[in-house]
Amino acid sequence: MKAIIIGAGEVGFYVAQRLASEQKDVVVIDRNPAVLQRILDHMDVQVLEGSGCSPLVLGEAGIQKANMLLAVTDSDEINLMACTFANMLAPGLTKLARIRNDEYIAYAEHLSREIGIGIIVNPEVEVVRTIEHMLSAPGAVDISDLAGGRIKLAGTWITEANPLAGTRLMDLRGKVGDRRMIVAAIVRNDKVIVPSGADEIRRGDLVYFVCEDTELQPVFSFLGNRPGRKSNVLIIGGGNIGLRLARSLEKKPLHVKLMDKNPERCTILANELGRTVVLNGDGTDQEALQEENIGQMDVIVTMTGNEESNILSSLLAKKLGTPMAITRLNKIAYMPLVRAIGLEHIVSPRMSAVNSIFKHVRKGGVLSTVAIKDQAEAMEALVSQDSSLVGQPLKDLNFPMGVLVLCIMRQDSVLIPSGNDVILSGDRFIILSLTESIPDVERMLSRVRGRS
Amino acid sequence: MRWNIAWHVTGLILLCVGLCMSLPLLCGVYYADGSVAPLFLSLCVTVLAGAFLMFFFRRPNPLVINHREGMVIVALAWATCGVFGALPFVLGGFPSFTDAVFESVSGFTTTGASILSNIEALPKGLLFWRSLTHWLGGMGIIVLTIAILPFLGVGGMQLFKAEVPGPVADKLQPRIKDTAMTLWKVYVLFTAVQTILLLTGGMDFFDGLCHAFGTMATGGFSTRNTSVAAYDSAYIDYVISVFMIVAGMNFALHFQLFRGRPLALWRDPECRFFVAVIGVITGVITVYTHGANYSSWSEALRFSLFQVASIITTTGFATADYELWAPLTQGLLLLCMFVGGCAGSTAGGIKCMRVMLLINHAYRELFRLVHPRAVVQVKFGQKLVRDEVLNSILGFFILFVILFVLSGLALTAMGVDVLTAFSAVVACIGNVGPGLGEVGPVDNYGGLPWLSKWVLTFCMLLGRLEIYTILVLFIPEFWRK
Repeated sequence: MKAIIIGAGEVGFYVAQRLASEQKDVVVIDRNPAVLQRILDHMDVQVLEGSGCSPLVLGEAGIQKANMLLAVTDSDEINLMACTFANMLAPGLTKLARIRNDEYIAYAEHLSREIGIGIIVNPEVEVVRTIEHMLSAPGAVDISDLAGGRIKLAGTWITEANPLAGTRLMDLRGKVGDRRMIVAAIVRNDKVIVPSGADEIRRGDLVYFVCEDTELQPVFSFLGNRPGRKSNVLIIGGGNIGLRLARSLEKKPLHVKLMDKNPERCTILANELGRTVVLNGDGTDQEALQEENIGQMDVIVTMTGNEESNILSSLLAKKLGTPMAITRLNKIAYMPLVRAIGLEHIVSPRMSAVNSIFKHVRKGGVLSTVAIKDQAEAMEALVSQDSSLVGQPLKDLNFPMGVLVLCIMRQDSVLIPSGNDVILSGDRFIILSLTESIPDVERMLSRVRGRS
Repeated sequence: MRWNIAWHVTGLILLCVGLCMSLPLLCGVYYADGSVAPLFLSLCVTVLAGAFLMFFFRRPNPLVINHREGMVIVALAWATCGVFGALPFVLGGFPSFTDAVFESVSGFTTTGASILSNIEALPKGLLFWRSLTHWLGGMGIIVLTIAILPFLGVGGMQLFKAEVPGPVADKLQPRIKDTAMTLWKVYVLFTAVQTILLLTGGMDFFDGLCHAFGTMATGGFSTRNTSVAAYDSAYIDYVISVFMIVAGMNFALHFQLFRGRPLALWRDPECRFFVAVIGVITGVITVYTHGANYSSWSEALRFSLFQVASIITTTGFATADYELWAPLTQGLLLLCMFVGGCAGSTAGGIKCMRVMLLINHAYRELFRLVHPRAVVQVKFGQKLVRDEVLNSILGFFILFVILFVLSGLALTAMGVDVLTAFSAVVACIGNVGPGLGEVGPVDNYGGLPWLSKWVLTFCMLLGRLEIYTILVLFIPEFWRK
């Protein structure tokens, strides 16, 4: 498969890296030679210097032979323009544009119908949703939706007090009782392990599990994270995400404060928002934080565009007594570091964007995907009528190494499968795969019955 | 610097080269000419050495090679291949180890300088190995390894950059493995076509294949004592001339030809420059040699074109002794040795692209003296050349000149006369082969002092790997942690 990526920013970089690691042919186009050089040093892809919305450059990139165009620059207009030209040059191509402006998103259906552009809805919506999840399940450091929110994939650190520490997975059922949760992956020393029954959960692991939406609260309270009273929330940074978040949180029984450095922006924010208290001040200023009784806050959410100051504000707030800090981080390279300095709750708009791109990239009826540490991916797939998977017990399907079927959704029920269960047409199932096995999984999912 | 990776990959490359020795071995078995024993022994030793290195130095998985390790690996691989490639010659009765290594490195670097005075006395198996070293080194032993082995992914690009000639190494395909494979496919195809054309010209299969290897790699080892002159055929001369010029052009452009863009060669400014230089110099030499050396215009043109093509593409085949020609023609050929072929070709020398940019840059400096406020950019075709590329080219040129002068002086210190010394150094750094004076087209390098052969061997490696890759290893900063 050949993919052309326009824009070698953070999003483009990580999408390219993941596609290249799956042995796909990738061409990256950008106008800045320095970022292209960085890409060349890190992955086996082809780069092209030039404007992604120039039809000449697209032709040079071999758009006629490509299967997919991903326009992921920071500019909505360039992305749309590139897709429009791509549509003229190669009408059959899958085209995805990363869009952030709400006004364009309103026309997503038109764009898709008229010129076949798939829209990657701005990640900000996803980020706000993730933060809300984190507030409701504070033990989760990472939480994402699958199956339209019915199923959750959540990651939690195993501490000393955690009842699961030292349990082998085959004994898990006895411990958790009738709480329906399935361990999907264990992250140990930054390496993702797809577990088998003999694997043991150890202290210091980051365990990812899948459960139904309604089970999330009971599971977390079982794991020792009682939903403490989260009534006072301070948001720092009144940008696009900060505003959305405040708007959504003020509808709940919460006291929300929103702080921004820029006085003019504060005026706009105060106009847009209702119950939220808008403050003008610098989130990295200790006195400004103390003035607002930072110690009495339950949660601080740092959402400015500057990640260094986000980290600083979060650390400062934690030091001053705030129990929970949610930090926005864009540089994906920082992520392994922040845990070391005590920040556990991280949200990343770019990572969300990468995830939402990948659900379009995946073949074989994949509806959504969530990446775990860049090394594995949980995919939700719809089984079509003529799929070769239909009618066979799972144990006979010969899934490749490092692949696990986590659950099957049939009509209204969620099944935790055993080897004897059979997949039926119309089922949706969630499958976890290590990155290196993804091409095989895609092949299995898109294989049609009778033509194996 | 992780030495285990460097040695592991070197072992791997050595293993590939060792396996390639099976081809001359087959040839030796076919002709039953006494080259079987040395070739078989060399094959075993090389393969075992490669396997030994691979076994004792494990690579991490996934294999990621950084810029610095890339250069060390390439330099190390070329040096070890040069030494192990000399084994068949050592065992096959070459006068000394020095001579055998000189011959082997001359082969791999596609220089084509030989120490042999009676080539035809060598068994056919060894002759075939000589030509095969050209062919492997021409497109690059490392490019070949990348094409065959899948796991050199990201690291492959670092190795590729360090081996491929020219200031910029472009990927033709999204993946480095496919890029390397594409280059080799084009290379194999051209070699096959040329072999067939030479066969129709009356050569036997062995000679045809060996000469095609020598031509496409722009090497210059022949199987005859008098080189291509032995055939005395205008048809063969022209076929080889054309294919030498083809091999001196950028292979990325040849690939465009197969993609259905036949005009790519013509549109490329470097290629046009290359052809223009060949045209002009051939014209001048034809005029000078007509009457004085050759009675007819057609003969003058045939011999002039062949020598010019042979020297500028740094091949080094000969059909005439240009030392008998007028002094100006020799001067022009010396100029050709410096210029060399195009970037991304198998040719050596400074490369046309660098020469063009150097001229442009010099002109820009003059222009600035006239218009001190002018903003002038150096362009290559339509494209702006970034200052870092320009600086790297300037650095390359300065190093080329310094190395030329120092190595030349070193040779004169060993008692070699000035003309021989300096022309031998250009011929070796430029991977040309024949020079002037005692190393002219009808002479060989056998008579030079042994130490000077090592200096020239080093020059050949420097030239093939474009100076930087080798020279950077001699900077203390490179080894600092």
